[in-house]
Amino acid sequence: MNLLPTEEQQQIVDMVRGFLAASAPLERLRPDKFGQIGNPDAALWPKMAELGILGLGVPEEGGGLGLSAVEEALTYIEFGRALVSVGVLGATLGAHLAARTMPDIAAAIMAGTSAVGLATPRGTVAGDDGIFSGEFHLIEANEADFIVLLTSDAIALFRRDEFMGQSERLSMDSHMRLMRAALESGKPLSWSSVKDGIDHARANLLIAAYATGVAEAALAGAVDYAKVREQFGKPIGSFQAIKHKCADMAIAAEVASCQVSFASVILSKNSDESRFHALASRIVAVDAALKNGATGIQVHGAIGFTAEVEAHLFVKRAHLIDFIGGDQRVQKGQFIGADAVI
Amino acid sequence: MNLDYTAEDEIFRAEAREWLDANIPREVRPPDGPGMREFDLGWQRKQFEGGWAGVSWPVEYGGRGLSLTHQLIWYEEYAKAGGPNAELLFVGCNHAAPTIMARGTDEQKSYHLPKILSGEVAWCQGFSEPNNGSDLGGLKCRAEIVGDELVVNGSKIWTSSAHLADWQELLVRTDPAAPKHKGISWVICDMQTPGIELRPILIMTAPGHHHFNQVFYTDVRIPLSNVVGEVNDGWNVAMSTLGFERGTAGMLENIRYGAVVERLVDMARQRLGASALENDDIGQRLAQLRAEVTAVRAMTYRIASRAAIAPPGSEVSLARAFFSQLQQRIRRIALDIIGPDSIELPEDDPWIRPYLRTYSNTIAAGTSEIQRNIIGERVLGLPR
Repeated sequence: MNLLPTEEQQQIVDMVRGFLAASAPLERLRPDKFGQIGNPDAALWPKMAELGILGLGVPEEGGGLGLSAVEEALTYIEFGRALVSVGVLGATLGAHLAARTMPDIAAAIMAGTSAVGLATPRGTVAGDDGIFSGEFHLIEANEADFIVLLTSDAIALFRRDEFMGQSERLSMDSHMRLMRAALESGKPLSWSSVKDGIDHARANLLIAAYATGVAEAALAGAVDYAKVREQFGKPIGSFQAIKHKCADMAIAAEVASCQVSFASVILSKNSDESRFHALASRIVAVDAALKNGATGIQVHGAIGFTAEVEAHLFVKRAHLIDFIGGDQRVQKGQFIGADAVI
Repeated sequence: MNLDYTAEDEIFRAEAREWLDANIPREVRPPDGPGMREFDLGWQRKQFEGGWAGVSWPVEYGGRGLSLTHQLIWYEEYAKAGGPNAELLFVGCNHAAPTIMARGTDEQKSYHLPKILSGEVAWCQGFSEPNNGSDLGGLKCRAEIVGDELVVNGSKIWTSSAHLADWQELLVRTDPAAPKHKGISWVICDMQTPGIELRPILIMTAPGHHHFNQVFYTDVRIPLSNVVGEVNDGWNVAMSTLGFERGTAGMLENIRYGAVVERLVDMARQRLGASALENDDIGQRLAQLRAEVTAVRAMTYRIASRAAIAPPGSEVSLARAFFSQLQQRIRRIALDIIGPDSIELPEDDPWIRPYLRTYSNTIAAGTSEIQRNIIGERVLGLPR
C-alpha cells in the first residue's frame, strides 16, 4: 500500500506541469477586454496529442499509452491547476469510449485532429437502452466532430450533428464556448451506463481531479498574495484572520487530493468500488474548488474582485465543472443512494 | 500508487481478524473509575499476551517490529470487529512510549516500555496549565534542580484520568531565565509521589463525569534521572510526541468513524425512506459527510505512506484539523435524523454522549485554531 506517486508517476506530473507552464500559463486567461473570448486552448490539443496526453489512459491495443486511471488523475490535477479548457475532458472520455469499437475515431481524437465537446443535461434526460432525449448544454462543441454526453447515470459518445437546434449562449466563464441543443431519440456511437464498468466513474474521477487542481491553484494564489501584501505594517498572512482562511483552503485541497488518489487506484483495479470512490472524490473535490475559489477572492481583498488577478477565474471554472453531468445536489443524491463500501 | 497488500499482509490480516473474533471483550466498558481502569488494562494485557499490543513497536521493546501498514491493517480489523475505545491507554501507548523510545535512556526504556505495552500501568499527561493552554510554551510549573532531584511546585490542568494513572508525562520549567521554549524539561513523574494533590473537574457528559483533573504539586521530588532527553530540551521532546498524536495515533478513530456514518445512513433510510433521502436536506448533508469520511480514510493512508519515508511532520495537522471538525458534524446530524424526540434523550444515550464528547475534539491536543496556525506557518510558510 502506498498512496504517494511513484518516481515514474512523478515524472509524468513534472512533464505535464512543465508543458503547461510553457504553453498555457495562467496569464493567457487575463482578458484585456471583457466579453466572451472563447477557448484559448484549442491550439494545445495537437501538442498534447504529440506528448500522448490525450490517450494517456487508453489501452495500448486501442492506440493509447496504456497507463492507468492513477496517471490520468495526476495529469487532470495539472489541467485544473492551469485551467486548461474542459474540452480536454471530451477528448479523454471520447477516446476511451471510441477505442473499443471505433479505432479510427479514437485515433483522430487522440491525434488532436477531431475535437470532442461535452454535453450536460439542462433538465431530465429520457434514456432507454441507449436512446437519449432531452435538453442539453454543449461545452466547447463549436468545432467538435463529436460530443460526450455525461448524465448522472450514463456516458455516451455522439456525432455532434445528432444534437438539434444548436444555438450559442454566453457564460460567466468567458474562456469557453457554450451552446444549447437537444436530442430527440438520439442514438450514440457508443455508450455505457453507470452499471457497466468504469467509464462513468472515470468521468467523475477526472472531474474531481480537475477540481482538485483548481482548489490547489486558488490556494497557491492566495498564499502567495498573503505573503507579500502588507497592511498595518505587516504581511496580511501574519494575521490569523487571513492565515486561518489559507489553512482552511489547504485542508480542503488536501482532502480532495487524498480521495482523488485513493479513487484513482480503485479505478485502476477496475474494482466494483469504483463508482462509490469516484463519487466521493467528486463531492469533496468540487466542494474544495468552489470554497477555495471564493475564499481566494476574499484573501486578495479588492484586487481579488478585479480582472487583474486570476482569483475570479477559479470561481467561474469551479461553477462550470460543478454542473458537468449534474451538480453537487445531483451527485449527493446519487451518492446517498449508493451501497456502502466498507 | 497502489492499495495492494502482499500475501504476507493478507495472512496477517486473517490472523488479526481471527484473534479479534475470539478475544474481543463482550462486556460493556465501564465509563469511569477503577472498573474502567481494570477493563482497559485487562484488555491491553490480553492483546499483549496475544502478540497484538505493539504491532509496529520495535522488537527490542517487546513489539512485533512490523510496518505502519501492518498497524493500519490491525486498526482496520479492530474497528470492523467493534473493539473498545480503551482511552486510558492512549497517553501511555501513543504519547509516553514513542517519546521514551525516541529520547529516553536505556534505563528509562527498559523500565517503562514493557510495563506500558503489557498493560501493567496507565499514564496521564501534564502539559496544559490554568494559564497556559494554547500558549503551552509559556508554561510556569517550576522545577528546581536540587542535588540529583527536581523539586516541582505548580499546577497542571485538563489531566485526563490523573486519578487512575500510575505515571505522568510532565512538562516543567527548569530554567525561568531562558527564552520560553528553551527552559522546559520533559519529566517522568510517579503519581504516588508525596506532594501531589488532585481536584476533580467534571465534564459536560455523563457517565464518566470525572474525566479531567487539576493536579497540584507542592515540593514534589522527582529523581533527575527521570528527565527524558536533555534538561531544558523538553519543548523539542514534547513536539515529537504531538506530531505522533496528530498523525498516526489517530488512525484507529479515523477508521472507526466510517462505520458511524454508515449507521447514520441506515437510520436515515429507515426513518425518512431511501428514495426521499436523495433530495432531502438530511440526505444531502449525509452524502457530504459520507464523502468526507471516505476521504479521511484516504488521508490516513497517505499519512501512513509518508510515514514509511519520514516521521510525521506539521502536515498531519491538515488531517487532524479536518477530522476533529468532521466528527462534530457527523455526531451532530444524528440529532437531526432522530428529530424532535432527540431532546428527550439523556446524556448517556448512545448517540448523545458521543455527540457531546466531540466538543472536546477541536480543543484537545491543540485547538482547531492552533492547528490552523501550524498549517499556515509550517505547511504554507506564512509569516508569524
